[in-house]
Amino acid sequence: MLFSSITFLFLFLPIVLAVYYIVPGKAKNIVLLAASLFFYAWGEPVYVILMILSILFNYFCGRDIRSHEDDPRKAKLSVMFAVVVNILILGFFKYYGFLLDMLNAVLPADIPYRELSLPIGISFYTFQAMSYILDVYWKKAEPQKNILYFALYISMFPQLIAGPIVRYADIEQQLIKRRMSASKIGLGAMYFITGLAKKTVIANTVGAVFEEISDMPAGSLSVLTAWLGVFSYAFQIYFDFSGYSDMAIGLGKMFGFDFRKNFDYPYISRSVTEFWRRWHISLSTWFREYVYIPLGGNRCSVSRNIFNLMVVWTLTGMWHGAAWNFIAWGVYYGVILVMEKYVWGASLENMPGAVQHIYTGIIVLVGWVFFFSPSLGYAMRYLLAMIGAGAGIVDAEGAFFLLGHWLIYLLAVIGSSALGMRLIKGALKAFRSTAAQMAAAAVIYTGMFLISVAFLVSDTFNPFLYFRF
Amino acid sequence: MRSGKVSAARIMKYIVLAAIVGFVVLLMLFASGSSKPFEEVAKPVRASLDTTVLAEQDASGLKRNFGLNASDYSGVMYYSAESNISAEEVLLIKVKREDQIQQVLDAVGDRIETRKRDFEGYLPEELQLLEDARQSVRGTYIFYVSSSKADDYFNTFSTSL
Repeated sequence: MLFSSITFLFLFLPIVLAVYYIVPGKAKNIVLLAASLFFYAWGEPVYVILMILSILFNYFCGRDIRSHEDDPRKAKLSVMFAVVVNILILGFFKYYGFLLDMLNAVLPADIPYRELSLPIGISFYTFQAMSYILDVYWKKAEPQKNILYFALYISMFPQLIAGPIVRYADIEQQLIKRRMSASKIGLGAMYFITGLAKKTVIANTVGAVFEEISDMPAGSLSVLTAWLGVFSYAFQIYFDFSGYSDMAIGLGKMFGFDFRKNFDYPYISRSVTEFWRRWHISLSTWFREYVYIPLGGNRCSVSRNIFNLMVVWTLTGMWHGAAWNFIAWGVYYGVILVMEKYVWGASLENMPGAVQHIYTGIIVLVGWVFFFSPSLGYAMRYLLAMIGAGAGIVDAEGAFFLLGHWLIYLLAVIGSSALGMRLIKGALKAFRSTAAQMAAAAVIYTGMFLISVAFLVSDTFNPFLYFRF
Repeated sequence: MRSGKVSAARIMKYIVLAAIVGFVVLLMLFASGSSKPFEEVAKPVRASLDTTVLAEQDASGLKRNFGLNASDYSGVMYYSAESNISAEEVLLIKVKREDQIQQVLDAVGDRIETRKRDFEGYLPEELQLLEDARQSVRGTYIFYVSSSKADDYFNTFSTSL
């Protein structure tokens, strides 16, 4: 079920919220768990069984790890077993086809194999499960005694499908006790509506432009069209994914949870290092906490640190999908971040702000070309078109796309900087009394909601981009 | 007391792991698709069809009846009855991306509902074919059949993967 669907907005969410607030305290988690399993089973009626089995496996592994607290060797073996099994499950569903395709590419005869569809959200909930296992092992958290609470942590529908990846230690207390209030529900609704508008109004519109451009052969693109295509994708993926994250955070608040923010205006960054502090923060944090630091982080030799960074970024690329373009994208960022850290980072800091923004923008846009390309060959042809090796500088298609969509691009630029929120807050401050500000906020957000629903009704099926990861 | 709890957690994790392995085996047997090229899967299905009843349709037929663009997919095979008063049809699609699966399933669902409305009240046999219509998602392959020989066609599709 999509957050941006009529069924979710006008049926599932109101019913779940109503039941959740009617039932007494202890039953709230059960309501939320039942709703989460229903939500997942709606789209994945078969794979919900896999998720339940994963919940049970990790629950018992957590208990087993803690039972060995007096025997570090056994505890280590137990945690290694749990992590390896989680990685094998994720790896099987995500990479086994990719590995066999690679084998088939080098072997003289094809090995036919049985394809399985990727269970939605498996990358996210497996990472959450591993966060629990490792937090218990490192004694950052207690093993959860109540299996229903643990199941809720893994399956909570607001962030089940596409994150943010919530670390167990961050939410352990909230599973037992959390603050709920009318103002928090209101704040949650504002987050949710902002995310819905990002997705339906901006992401889907610029996404349609990107679809049209990416359907054209890369070699036939003018410089203008190629750049418009990559800008469209950059805006689409930002508004799509940050929109989903806003909706998840908003829904969390409506149910009393506080999730950390997942995006912090990444396109205003002045370096690639800063970009990754602002983009998909929960994934970067996960890799930092559970891979980079255990490998030694930066408290080691330069060569070891470079190795650690490259491992983390190759894994980050692989996490996004079983394809060479994602691996290339991860390695690309690994190299850039190493270079920023050890070669040109200090020089970059002394440059004018505009240069820093342009540098970061170009690196990120080139990165998106690797990310959206179906093959490395296509990526190279697309990059060549961006520098003029396609169909000249400007063509009719590019001019048509630009003139036909300039307003949505302007909206995207404003929305992807802090300016958008500043404008809304500025408009609200024009009203002196709190009551007037609240009324104005209600009008603004109701308007945004109605516009989003209008886009939703007239749009075709548009799943979130990160569902496929 | 404590060692009893420990053993229970440890035993349970192995039992659940065995259940996961069993589940994956069942998935591979009954829900998996195939890496075979589209034509390799479509060929035996096409050969099994009763062409006295069914005729192959082109991209415009798919667009007209399902609202789908054939060029959006890796492969499409669509047969339907020449007669408008027959509910017989067979559709096999290999999607390019998994997020297209829902789009196709929605289109099939809409098609079934439309045809049910067409036949309701005056052609109960055709309506029954639609009630008994079968659809299956196997990896990137989607199969839909509404036919008096639905089970035969369905079995041919399953074994062709």
